[in-house]
Amino acid sequence: MKKNSKMIFNYVIMFGLISLFLIPLYWLLAGSFKSNFEFNLVPPTMFPEEIIFGNYSTAWTQLGFNQAFQNSMIVTISTTVLNMITGTLAGFILSKKKIPGGKIILALIVSVLIVPPAVLLLPLYFMIVKLGLYDTLSAIIFPFAANAFTIFFMKQYIDDIPNDLIEAARIDGVGEFGLIPKVIVPLSTPALVTVALINFVGNWNAFTMPLVLLRSNEKFTLPLKQAKMANATDVNQWTLILAATVLSILPVLVIFIGSQRYFVKGIMEGAVKG
Amino acid sequence: MKMKMKMKVRTIVSGYIILLPALIVMLMFNFYPVIWSFLVSFKETKAIDIKNSALYEIPGVFVGIENYQKVLDNDLFFKSIVNTGYFAIIFIPFTLLFSLLLAIYVNQKFKGVNFFRTIIFVPYIISVISSSLIFMTLFNTEAGFVNATLEFFGIQGISWLGDERLAMPVIALMSIWRRVGYFMLLYLAGLQNIPKSLYEAAQIDGANWLDKFRNITIPLLSKITIVIMVLLLRDALTIFQEVFVMTGGGPGNSTVTVPFLIYQEAFSYLRFGTAAAMSYILFVIAVIVILVQNKIIMRKGKVE
Repeated sequence: MKKNSKMIFNYVIMFGLISLFLIPLYWLLAGSFKSNFEFNLVPPTMFPEEIIFGNYSTAWTQLGFNQAFQNSMIVTISTTVLNMITGTLAGFILSKKKIPGGKIILALIVSVLIVPPAVLLLPLYFMIVKLGLYDTLSAIIFPFAANAFTIFFMKQYIDDIPNDLIEAARIDGVGEFGLIPKVIVPLSTPALVTVALINFVGNWNAFTMPLVLLRSNEKFTLPLKQAKMANATDVNQWTLILAATVLSILPVLVIFIGSQRYFVKGIMEGAVKG
Repeated sequence: MKMKMKMKVRTIVSGYIILLPALIVMLMFNFYPVIWSFLVSFKETKAIDIKNSALYEIPGVFVGIENYQKVLDNDLFFKSIVNTGYFAIIFIPFTLLFSLLLAIYVNQKFKGVNFFRTIIFVPYIISVISSSLIFMTLFNTEAGFVNATLEFFGIQGISWLGDERLAMPVIALMSIWRRVGYFMLLYLAGLQNIPKSLYEAAQIDGANWLDKFRNITIPLLSKITIVIMVLLLRDALTIFQEVFVMTGGGPGNSTVTVPFLIYQEAFSYLRFGTAAAMSYILFVIAVIVILVQNKIIMRKGKVE
């Protein structure tokens, strides 16, 4: 009896909290299907009376969100792949090789985590201008091709690979450079998946650096495009912006749902070890 | 002997080669910028336009602590610190409390708990920009969901983002909504790391749930709490995108945060030297607060 009432209590809380958390997403979805007229109605309609699918295609082609989507994809995938490579290489060395200065390098990398991004904003702008990369997609790929979190995360994971395994591979004739593809990568796949996901989401959602490093409309990534559209004075485009927002959320949502087991596990493991 | 030396040198050299890609990026785009910012904060504040292309360069004239003096004389800088503190005071305790409660809740075993965990976590993967746009439509004065709900219950609608006292809490609410799922997972990891035998032993000693919570759960979560506090603080000190999209710093500068002011100072007013000085003051504040926070939590953890 007691157990039953506790169950009911649990489900009431669950239902209440889920509704609360989903209200913003429902409102986004409802708004993205409304006509302009209906969107500006006072009081607002709780459910769109007439469903306008056209908002999506208009946002995609006329507002140029297809271009922004493509830019975001290029930047996100390149940065993620580069981070997986640099993170694995550096994580391996800092974990398993005793190189002079290795401890100091690791400490410096970890200390970068407490630097507020605002400190990096100005120098990155000036460096990118000097390098002639201003207003190119490379400007938001290469400076972010390695990051402290990924290196540290990979290092922590590789720490747990037994040294005996590495020695055994060496005896089998695997060279120094062969160790990574033949031993380290296969044994740290879960960590690599987690790192890939976290980097993908982070770069897909990045805004501040693109804002400072990109200028022309054709180079904008999705968040930049969304923000610029929303800050423009034309109020009649809000339903389109919301439709574009739904489209911008979909890729990360699909990836998250498909791989949430890794995602959740990675975050939790990182928490305990970190 | 010679062979061995040669082998050792070879491993070291190959080690550095493998480390190189990450090291170059970190040196160029993380370590060097930190030093660069520090130097520029002592340089002449005016930037020069490179060949009329609206791209800027900084002349290398050192002016001593002039930039820091200017920043400390700037009333808006103090206001931005107060505003950032206001955000932190709402955001940090509530996120901490809610994420702990949610973690305790999802640490139970019942059907649907994984689904629930997923839903609570979803806002975290949505970009700050998208979340900001969503909350702007939710809190819109005329056609927003919140005011429509209030008016349904006969309460007069409020101009949320147009009110100097309410704009920041709305931004904080959004930040809590977006991040609480992530911190819930961190606390969940902490909870699952507590050995069950401790609770069983306490049970035998006749402890009730409150005793167990106070004497086992809270102290054993102090390590993860430090991690969470540092992350929350970092979040609080980087509030920029939300302000950029939702309020533009208004109304009446009530949502100008330190990072937003740094951005404006640099890229709207082109005062790079003072912007660099501001960013370094922010850096120092962050380091001090993190150190103090760690000390307090560490001490508390030990006493209990």
